[in-house]
Amino acid sequence: MSVMRIFRCIVAAIFALAGSSVAFAATSSTSKLSSSADAAHVHVQLVMPQSILNRGESADIGLYFKLEPGWHVYWKNAGDSGEPPRIRWTLPDGITAGEIQFPAPKRLPLGPLMDFGYEDEVLFPMTLTVANTVKPGPAVLDAKVSWLVCREVCIPEKAELALTESIPVQPIRPTASGADEDLYKRLLSRLPEPTPANAKVVFQPTADGFRLAWQGGQREASAQFFPAEQNILNNPAPQAATPLANGVVLDLKKDPNLSAAPAQLKGILELADGHAYEIAAVPGTIPAAAPGANASGLVKAAGLAFLGGIILNLMPCVFPVLFLKGLSLVNSHRQERAHQRTHGLVYTAGIVVSFWLLVGALLALRAAGATLGWGFQFQSPIFVALMAGLLFFLGLSLAGQFEIGLTLTSAGGSLAQKQGYAGSFFTGVLAVVVATPCTAPFMGAAVGYALAQSAVVTFAIFTALALGLAAPYLLLTLQPAWTRLLPKPGAWMEILKQATAVPIFGFVIWLTWVLASTRGAFAVLVLLSLFLLLAIAGWILGRWPAKRVPSFAVGVVIVTAIGICIYGLQKFTAPVSTEENSTASATNSGAQWEPWSQAAVDKYRAAGRPVFVDFTASWCLSCQVNERVALRTPQVEAAFKKANVALLKADWTERDDAIAQALAGFGRSGVPAYALYTSNSSDGPTLLPEALTPGIVVDALNKLPAATAASTATP
Amino acid sequence: MVHNSHLSTLSSWTAALLLSAAGLSLLASAQVKVGAPAPDFQATASNGKTESLDQFKGKYVVLEWHNQGCPYTRKHYTSGNMQALQKEWTAKGVVWFTVISSAPGEQGYVTASQENSYLNQMHADPTAALLDFQGKIGHLYSAKTTPQMIVIDPAGKVIYDGAIDNRPTSDVEDIKGAKNYVNEALTEAMAGKPVTTSYTRPYGCSVKYAD
Repeated sequence: MSVMRIFRCIVAAIFALAGSSVAFAATSSTSKLSSSADAAHVHVQLVMPQSILNRGESADIGLYFKLEPGWHVYWKNAGDSGEPPRIRWTLPDGITAGEIQFPAPKRLPLGPLMDFGYEDEVLFPMTLTVANTVKPGPAVLDAKVSWLVCREVCIPEKAELALTESIPVQPIRPTASGADEDLYKRLLSRLPEPTPANAKVVFQPTADGFRLAWQGGQREASAQFFPAEQNILNNPAPQAATPLANGVVLDLKKDPNLSAAPAQLKGILELADGHAYEIAAVPGTIPAAAPGANASGLVKAAGLAFLGGIILNLMPCVFPVLFLKGLSLVNSHRQERAHQRTHGLVYTAGIVVSFWLLVGALLALRAAGATLGWGFQFQSPIFVALMAGLLFFLGLSLAGQFEIGLTLTSAGGSLAQKQGYAGSFFTGVLAVVVATPCTAPFMGAAVGYALAQSAVVTFAIFTALALGLAAPYLLLTLQPAWTRLLPKPGAWMEILKQATAVPIFGFVIWLTWVLASTRGAFAVLVLLSLFLLLAIAGWILGRWPAKRVPSFAVGVVIVTAIGICIYGLQKFTAPVSTEENSTASATNSGAQWEPWSQAAVDKYRAAGRPVFVDFTASWCLSCQVNERVALRTPQVEAAFKKANVALLKADWTERDDAIAQALAGFGRSGVPAYALYTSNSSDGPTLLPEALTPGIVVDALNKLPAATAASTATP
Repeated sequence: MVHNSHLSTLSSWTAALLLSAAGLSLLASAQVKVGAPAPDFQATASNGKTESLDQFKGKYVVLEWHNQGCPYTRKHYTSGNMQALQKEWTAKGVVWFTVISSAPGEQGYVTASQENSYLNQMHADPTAALLDFQGKIGHLYSAKTTPQMIVIDPAGKVIYDGAIDNRPTSDVEDIKGAKNYVNEALTEAMAGKPVTTSYTRPYGCSVKYAD
């Protein structure tokens, strides 16, 4: 009786799980087997690129999985949990199937765990060998396939698939290619390549893991290692990459229970450009990262960074802040020189220190495994909102609603002493913060180069950038003679100060739009409420200046406003989906921009189309400018159409690791970036400059191989 | 120079913001090592009692990570394999804790009464089923999968950590003929021998921790 009870419970449990306990996707053995099957969340299929089995030859065959979004199947080393797919063949005498081959996987984080596997779609290729002795005629290739498909939960599934091929007496050559061939070709490129003969792969044990060096001949910005064997690495630990002049070094953490170092470190190494290699590293010496080896590159990058820093002064985001500094200089140029100079130096220090903090935070977060790039703080909606609030408040003050401290016109000899140096320092900080989204055209390459280098080089380049930003003001304070060229102080300064509020409010409008486009209408409501409360605070400050009780009230209002803002944004807004964004932009312009994914790039290139990718973000001002003045112009749209280019938009407004990785693959660390791919999948992309004109884009399109244009002309 | 003072207040705010926007918390991962002392824990069992590891010093203790919805766990329960192990070893004085680290809303999460009726239905016989919804014990021992097995010796040292057996599938048919690592570890340790296989890759579903 108890056995019956257990049995009943089991049956009930299986049905309660909505039949997903073990899904048998195959048709029963009495009916005819099909080459494909649909199980829960998965479509599985046997794929033969050339539907021919010749005696004495071998043929390709693949096991293809198409997965529902969010579901994945596993690599041969599944990582911390999971199980790879298995296949058991039943083949006619004389036909044998080779080992299942696994393409390069993805890291699939799962809470504190890390699995290795595949999302969306994957093809596992195999080779069939047909002996000379095989009987001609129909041959049934029967495969029993079992796999585990997981999202948060896992479902083990099985299917029996079969293909019937006829074996000719005399070998025949394939004629037409079909859908299977396209699919096979497209996904075959995901298989790891053997390590090239000229590449050197070595590893060295460390106290808590291994250092793995890949020397393939050229500098690599980053890489990922997938261990072929289990229980070797601590899978979720981040793999910090240090570029070498001719490769890259990865710092890997070992499994704490690993007692002896392995003789070889086997697995797949995937470089930032997506190329994956099957490696077997042997113990050896790890070359030191040599920043000196690339000294000319460093000097060039530092020079560019310095120049970029100077140009940043003219950017609409930074100019108002610097303009105020300039006014104060005009106002006080009769003061003691020493004070002037010290103010200039303190201001410079403010800029340098905040660049260092920003870069330090970025590097620390990257070392901890986050995939972030330049401008990352603008990917936080709370940061954007508070930034807008800060500038709005500043705008109110400039427009004359309230004053803190002294007015411009009441200049006196003791002004500088009263002001203290903290003001100068934090003006520098503010300049840096508002400057980041305005990455000037010269800076994209420099910042990308800087962030891919060793920490010392990174800091050197950012110091050059900081000095460039500080240079104009610093020079004025160091060379008092030059300040004589500036006009005399007077009432015009008050007018000009109020006028400065206009670009500041313009900047606020832009930030509001950034927030609205990423977080929706409710976020705008939250932001406007923040503005209202800040306006009230400003009014109190203006009406009752420098009184204790009102000041306290202002403090309370501001803290409340910030609290509401943070709470409201976190609790009630979610990222607006990229599909909505892209549909909106597609209706705005004639051309169809689709959301970017590496799979989409591969798909269009496999279909013989060139691909153009626009790496952009709402908070990136130069991206918006490029889109308006170049990419969305009728001339360029027509050129895209003529060259049959597939248009993809990689929107980095919100944090996106895949996009950050793709950018790193180009040696870039931020947006804008524009990549043009030919339809030939072995070609690398061409990068367009950060400042686009219609002419630049059209020229690049004209340089596409003629073959692609011709092939699109034929039906 | 009007602005410097409020520029300074406002922009020190900005600087603070900048860092807080970047302030992501990092997970510490201290994994238990085989041969090292097993960290103590306290937990409420489904029978309402509070259990701790320290009170069982001097005894062998088995920890079994459990998720009744996981196909791999079900493999060992529908076959009766796990229950048989529990009976065999608790009869020999081993303390057997079934640990449920599934967070509320995740697969495998159960209330105390649901777990009690499950134990009853399955004729499972662990010393206790520990309700570890916050994943404290799970994180303490870096439990990755269900099932995952840990064996602790009377001195309080971890002597086995890993899979239940050497057939990492969800297929009931694979139980017969599989090498059961828990049986092996306990048998060897009780005979005073060192444990041959003390660390393996656990297989199964990932433990459904809270995010």
